[in-house]
Amino acid sequence: MASAGILLVLYVIAALAPFLAPYNLVEQHPDLTYQPPQRVRVVRDGRLVRPYVYPMTRKRDPVTFVLSFTEDMSRPLPIRLFVRGDRYSLLGLRSTWHLFGVSGGGIFLMGTDAFGRCLLSRTLVGSQVSLTVGVVGVAISFAIGIVIGGVSGYYAGILDTMIQRLIEVLLSIPRLPILLALATVIPASWPSSYVYVGIVAVLSLIGWAGLARVIRGQVIAMRDLEYVTAARATGLRDLPIILRHIMPNLSSYLIVTATLALPGYILGESALSFLGLGVKEPMASWGLLLRDAQNFRALNLYPWLLAPGALIVISVMAFNFVGDALRDAADLQSI
Amino acid sequence: MREIGRLVILAVVLAGLVVPAFGADKTVRGYESLGIVPGKVGGRLTMVLGDSPQSFLYYGVIDSNLQALSQHLYDGLVEYNYRTYELEPALAERWTISRDGRVYTFFLRQDVKWQDGQPFTADDVVFTYDQIVQNPEARAGDAGAFTIGGQRAKFEKVDTYTVRLTLPKAAPAMLQYMRLYIMPKHKLLPFTVEGGARPADINTAWPTTVDPREVIGTGPFRLQSYVPGQKVTLARNPNYWKKDANGTRLPYLSQLELLIIRDPEQQVAQFLAGNVGQLNISGAQFPDLRARQQAGAPFKVTSARALFGSPPHLAFNFDARNPELAKLFSDLRWRQAMQMAVNRQRIIDDVYNGLAELPGHGVAPISSWYFDTKKLLGTFDLQAAARALDEMGLRMGPDGVRRLPNGQPLEFTLTYGTDSSVWPPIATILQNDLKQIGVRANLQGILSRTLLSTGLSGNYEALLLAFGDQPDPELRKPIWQPGGALYYWHRATQPATPGGEANFSAMQPWERQIFDLWETGGTTVSRPQRKAVYDRWQMLFAQNLPVIMIAKPTAVGAIHNRYGNYLYSLGVIPGYNPVPLIFQR
Amino acid sequence: MLWFVVRRVLLMVPALLVISALVFAVVQLQPGGFLTQYLDDPRFSPETVETIKRQFGLDQPAHVQYLRWLQGIVTRGDFGYSFLNGRPVGSLIWERVGWTVFLALLTIAGTWLIAIPLGIYTALRPRGPAATLVNLISYLGQAMPDFLLALLLIALVLSRGGTNVGGLFSPDYIGAPWSWGRLRDMLAHLWIPLAAISLEGVAGLMRQMRAKLLDVLGADYVRTARAKGAPERAVLWKHAVRNAINPLISLAGLSLPSLISSTILVSIVLNLPTIGPFLYDSLLNKDQYVVTTLLLISSLLLMVGNLLADLALAWADPRIRYQ
Repeated sequence: MASAGILLVLYVIAALAPFLAPYNLVEQHPDLTYQPPQRVRVVRDGRLVRPYVYPMTRKRDPVTFVLSFTEDMSRPLPIRLFVRGDRYSLLGLRSTWHLFGVSGGGIFLMGTDAFGRCLLSRTLVGSQVSLTVGVVGVAISFAIGIVIGGVSGYYAGILDTMIQRLIEVLLSIPRLPILLALATVIPASWPSSYVYVGIVAVLSLIGWAGLARVIRGQVIAMRDLEYVTAARATGLRDLPIILRHIMPNLSSYLIVTATLALPGYILGESALSFLGLGVKEPMASWGLLLRDAQNFRALNLYPWLLAPGALIVISVMAFNFVGDALRDAADLQSI
Repeated sequence: MREIGRLVILAVVLAGLVVPAFGADKTVRGYESLGIVPGKVGGRLTMVLGDSPQSFLYYGVIDSNLQALSQHLYDGLVEYNYRTYELEPALAERWTISRDGRVYTFFLRQDVKWQDGQPFTADDVVFTYDQIVQNPEARAGDAGAFTIGGQRAKFEKVDTYTVRLTLPKAAPAMLQYMRLYIMPKHKLLPFTVEGGARPADINTAWPTTVDPREVIGTGPFRLQSYVPGQKVTLARNPNYWKKDANGTRLPYLSQLELLIIRDPEQQVAQFLAGNVGQLNISGAQFPDLRARQQAGAPFKVTSARALFGSPPHLAFNFDARNPELAKLFSDLRWRQAMQMAVNRQRIIDDVYNGLAELPGHGVAPISSWYFDTKKLLGTFDLQAAARALDEMGLRMGPDGVRRLPNGQPLEFTLTYGTDSSVWPPIATILQNDLKQIGVRANLQGILSRTLLSTGLSGNYEALLLAFGDQPDPELRKPIWQPGGALYYWHRATQPATPGGEANFSAMQPWERQIFDLWETGGTTVSRPQRKAVYDRWQMLFAQNLPVIMIAKPTAVGAIHNRYGNYLYSLGVIPGYNPVPLIFQR
Repeated sequence: MLWFVVRRVLLMVPALLVISALVFAVVQLQPGGFLTQYLDDPRFSPETVETIKRQFGLDQPAHVQYLRWLQGIVTRGDFGYSFLNGRPVGSLIWERVGWTVFLALLTIAGTWLIAIPLGIYTALRPRGPAATLVNLISYLGQAMPDFLLALLLIALVLSRGGTNVGGLFSPDYIGAPWSWGRLRDMLAHLWIPLAAISLEGVAGLMRQMRAKLLDVLGADYVRTARAKGAPERAVLWKHAVRNAINPLISLAGLSLPSLISSTILVSIVLNLPTIGPFLYDSLLNKDQYVVTTLLLISSLLLMVGNLLADLALAWADPRIRYQ
């Protein structure tokens, strides 16, 4: 239950990301590169006050070139709610309101990256890509899987055999290499939003075959049930029968499968990003953000860059928990 | 020898280098200022190869890992001085060049032995150049460099230790190509036309499955074993022809190991763990390693201005598909405004962690060919850039983006490589600064290895790319001469048919000037005159900005404290290999 | 039974044909070509490009290239030529196959040896703190990208002053003859890849085992066995566990293709001499015959794995008979 709550919160955050984020995706603060997260304080001079942060100043070690930051204690920056900031559009509304912010300095609660971009803002906006890759991908692969699996199971005969052979062929190609091969096919000239679509398409192209096969099995088991025969007798055409009469009986199965398939997409996106084949700048995704942390200098000097990785783990775990719980509830041990 | 009367000795014996009677070993000295001290024989050094070599025959495949390996196995007739990057004797003890610059005579070192004990002679040199380097089917041969005006250069054996090279026309940079590695005729003859094989068969010689004893050179180390995908082991060549200042035979190390490690992070991990003794690193990795050194880690991180290494540049496509953009990009005022919007200092600080310097124009700032163009780089000034764009009539639109003359927003795609620690940050910084002057750059990330082919295809609007610097400008002619094969930002200047005459009608006046300068430089024999020609070219480059140079990275490397005489840089350039001087304390 | 096997094997042939054509087509779709990476080398003139294209047959249309390659396999057992390595594909793959198979088999074995007991344990004691911990770790393992886990493990070893941070051996032992020292050295290196590769598998298998076992423990025949007064231990091991494992056997067959494909990322991060990074490189370089051959082989492995799984199932479960 807690996991479902986490997922709900994550998706709400993703939906509201531009509003929740104090900055936009690309705003750079050249003097504050690799700034560690600021601490939010509520006590000043022994008294409880409105939460505030101290601005930070950067210094570069002349020998090692390591950046060090000191808090400027003389200038507390109170955190204000509902402040004006960059323009963004959310659900069709254009706005400049942001949930929180400070004036006269910067607020970076998760630190900044190599360009002084706010990691919190980037993670929030990046969640839109990471969390939708799965949903959109699953939707596409289910649409294909349901139609093809349904048709194949319903009609049987030569069509069924051909589809089954095709599915077998597709299932016999190992996932990751073909994923990489297809990802390298995405034209470089595409803008980053198309690349996103391309990656979703690639991920879902690989996902549908297994699903179609299982659905076919279920449809075969059901097509001769009485109510289906009855529906056919009333003169309903085949596709409506498959979609309206057979599929609803598979809905619990489909929901559980979908929930358990989602993490694969999130991890797949991060794997592609790790190899530089995933979503590209100026877009952001958790996988792309995690890529900045995939080295020893980051682990050693800028460990906060790992935060998007933690979010990947949390969201995947949450999906798995929820999926398992649903499966137990629906008593579908076979998945 | 009938030409001897006309021969003038141009090869200057360098300071500190004494050439006694024929047949002596080469004494390596004169590097005290670089901190080189007499070393101790023995020990072992482990270094890194970025991937498995694809062959053991240098001329069989273009492969940077094979190049990194080859420099330990083979020698050329000449090599670079570690300090001055000038050419000096290697397998050729001295040479003469005829007054007209067409006839080169090389006098070979006489007691050099192949690693299997066979003597090294003029036959090997003639064989290498005639049968391998000039074989157009040899995949990593260089037939093009020896074909001048459609005619082939001729190599002849004069006597056992003398080789004569006759060129159809003077080519002052030809000596640079004498760094190419000499191969053993007695091993490779069966793979060449002279030995009865087909021309392409040379590429099949010495595959990585070959018996290591078959692969022999004259170099400081010989191939001992290869474990596919994991390690190449080299052993000291006890008969190497170089000695240190004390007369100790080089190399000092008795074994050299090259671990095959693809992932840069895994390379760092192996270095930190002490399994790797030396590592070339990037500027981004410097602070972490340097801080570890500060904290007492047993290694030293060094940086040095280096000649080799690739300075990135920003190119605008003069022939962009969008005619409005093509017109804009061809306009010098645009490129000047863009140069003012390139924050070089920030890129040097944040991308290279300070480990870069202001760039030269086609020539590395430490090269003796360098002409000081720093003043022409201007300073980063967004307001001035904005004013310049205003003056061009590119008005700001209500959305903060300027308008092209046809009323469309001023935006272009900026193509960069995603799999690198350099391109994404430079692209991001540029995009951010351009946005502030009303220019929208849409980033387009591609794999770094496809950057150049994208440039050559002409299918881009702006591109970030880098070409390596070389010790002689002539070696980079195809890049910087308008109409050259790699002159990708203005492809309209290229010949209609390969090998044909450049398309002069497409050239802007300054491009024509640069073109002519290259033609002159390629045939001028006198060094001061050549220098003047290339100075003029660098000046025109800096003024007219065919591309906007961004920064020249410093070479950064790390070495464990147990080794001495570490000279940066350990690279892959034939004729530059300081490893024989490294010793284990 | 024999007829069943023969039929399945025969069916593989057209499937492999389709796969090879599909993969070949995908590789052809990639932008750029094998030669583009060399263009900035001063030695690479346009003539050289033409020469090499001719040498490799790249001047022919794609379908001709494909059919020639196919012909080579059928008539000569020749899987084509690696442009990158200048050598036949077969020998290149062969020299990497040893470690790849070794690692994969070890990983599969390790996964089963850890996952099955843990699955049984958590099924029997679902509420204890140990089970909770195991569950948590298994979920974590499934959710953590394997390349991240590998990197974190290296960082952990480094921070503790260790030297075994990647690869299968210390430099000294690479290519050395086998000895106790070498074996010890390998074992000291092996745990990182094993942990990084198998953690995900362990999590999945463990939970399946638990679910199946819980299922079986509630089944009628187990209740019957108990009612008969069979000792609890015998009921558990002879009836329940055995029947719960059966359906999982088919999973073992499905993990065969991981011989090649599933370790790509971990192999890159940990510098393992397996086929994975080789495949990735070939893909990026458009080394078409290597890519197609490797994918063909892993597809074949998957099919063979499926077949083996079906056979193993028939052997383990007397109710299943193939005609």
